[in-house]
Amino acid sequence: MEFPRYHKDIVSDLMSGKFILASDPKFVSLKESEEFYSSFFKESFGYEIEIKTDFAYLLSYETGEQLSRDICLFFAILSFELDKDGKNFLEEIQYAEFETEKLDEYFSNSSYAELILNNNQMKDAFSRKQFYTTLNRRNIIEKTGENKFTFTQAYKVFIDFAADFAKGKLNAAIEG
Amino acid sequence: MLKAEPKTILNFLANYFDSLKDLFDIQAADGVIQRERLAQVLSERNDNIEATLLEYKILRKIGEDFEFRDTYFKLFEFILNEFRPLLPETIQKYEQSIGKLFQKIREGVKGDTLILRSRIDDLYNEIKEFSEAVEKNTIRLLAETRELKSNVDKLDYKEKVRKASFWIDYYIIPLNNILDINHVDSITNKLFDISQYTNVRRLNFNDESIRIQFEKLYTFLVMTNDNLLRQSKLLTNELLPLIERIRTESIILTGWIEFLKQPYKSPVPKIFKPERNYPYSNDMYLNAKEYLEQFITEENILVEDPIANSDKWVFNKELYRSKMLEQLPIDSFFDWCGLTLRSEYKNIETDKFFALTGLLFEDDIMLELDETEKDRKLIKTSQMTLRVPKIKILKYGIS
Repeated sequence: MEFPRYHKDIVSDLMSGKFILASDPKFVSLKESEEFYSSFFKESFGYEIEIKTDFAYLLSYETGEQLSRDICLFFAILSFELDKDGKNFLEEIQYAEFETEKLDEYFSNSSYAELILNNNQMKDAFSRKQFYTTLNRRNIIEKTGENKFTFTQAYKVFIDFAADFAKGKLNAAIEG
Repeated sequence: MLKAEPKTILNFLANYFDSLKDLFDIQAADGVIQRERLAQVLSERNDNIEATLLEYKILRKIGEDFEFRDTYFKLFEFILNEFRPLLPETIQKYEQSIGKLFQKIREGVKGDTLILRSRIDDLYNEIKEFSEAVEKNTIRLLAETRELKSNVDKLDYKEKVRKASFWIDYYIIPLNNILDINHVDSITNKLFDISQYTNVRRLNFNDESIRIQFEKLYTFLVMTNDNLLRQSKLLTNELLPLIERIRTESIILTGWIEFLKQPYKSPVPKIFKPERNYPYSNDMYLNAKEYLEQFITEENILVEDPIANSDKWVFNKELYRSKMLEQLPIDSFFDWCGLTLRSEYKNIETDKFFALTGLLFEDDIMLELDETEKDRKLIKTSQMTLRVPKIKILKYGIS
């Protein structure tokens, strides 16, 4: 039986929780064999695969809820602080390069101090640095230097979530 | 005076928390709980607790209506993190009380130590109340302004600006004046003066207990000043530019602000949770081998009988007490102990002997030390030779 190109790497990346990005040659192969991978993961492990236009990732029954919650908290506070700083937060997340020092400044002066201090991934500069390593490993950010990174297209999973969350709240407010 | 046990009241609060929370919300919005609203809330949940609420002094009657007693209202504010905003003029009163107490402390620092101690205590409490009031107000103002930014209620821009101006004019700017360190008359400035003064006094005051109190006040002031500085920063960075900030609106930001209200109770996007072992892992073989091997080796298990404890001697106090009482008067108590033990066992064991000497402290007997016997008696036990006085035992009341 012939498998798609990069098959082993695709499976290995996805199974270690990585997002496969459009800039990665593996993505083309994955996209071309979309049907195969959907049934491969479904039949072999019972996992769903989400293949979007510019990234792909796996979903399992047991989800990394704590990490997902921490990432949401991170995006939420970052968006709030960027907006407070007079910036277009969405454009910044999409295109800007972030310096960890600047992020430390945002997080240490945030009015969400209590939430930040009670979160093990965000409570101080050292924890945040480790958190960035996790995000980098999962391809949610891409390191561009020792203390610099940009967000990859995977940010959309979380930004879309925020928009859906707001819609739910807005609908509830209208119905209420 | 409450008849109920404190624990019963706390359990009551926990059991009827949902109804109490609704009542708290009503009072927070209307300032009072009308009789009909109380009845409505309680009947919705079938909680027939009106009488108990009054008995436990959680609510008090105001004419026909009700309100929470202050203690409980503040407890609910605290645990729900929902504070009613205090008007800055209410906070301003602390300037006077703190200023006056500080002045009295300076004037009377060489006077009576008792009154000085009370004044330092009072100053400590006033500063604490002031700092808590500021913090509660900042929490409330942050919540209100985030609500405006999030705009779930879909207010139009004009209405948003009207609301924002209200918060800025009546709460944010006046509170900023209270906290602004550059303002000569601000309370924060006064607290810095007090802090400098106590810093000197905590090191060079004659009375040690007052020195300790100054030390405590100083430590607290350092902490408070840091906290107030932080509150002041929040005001200038986040609350004062509110009009500017509500100009832009984004559904994503609305989502995030709403999410941040209860981040640990909201749903989150599903992402993959990697498992420890998967088919392509290089360690798969060794991990599986290690896992299986732990079931292969069967170790011989030896079961040892516990050491029998059957010969452990237990002092039967009642038995020996009645023996002693039967034989009263006893000429020499320690001799009697020795003889009693020897009649039952081969020799006198030390711990048995000491156990018996405990009978000396029984209520029904009277002791008499024979002072004519200058020499102590010798009693040989299994481990030592004891030198004991001659003590006569008589029945209490009859000689």
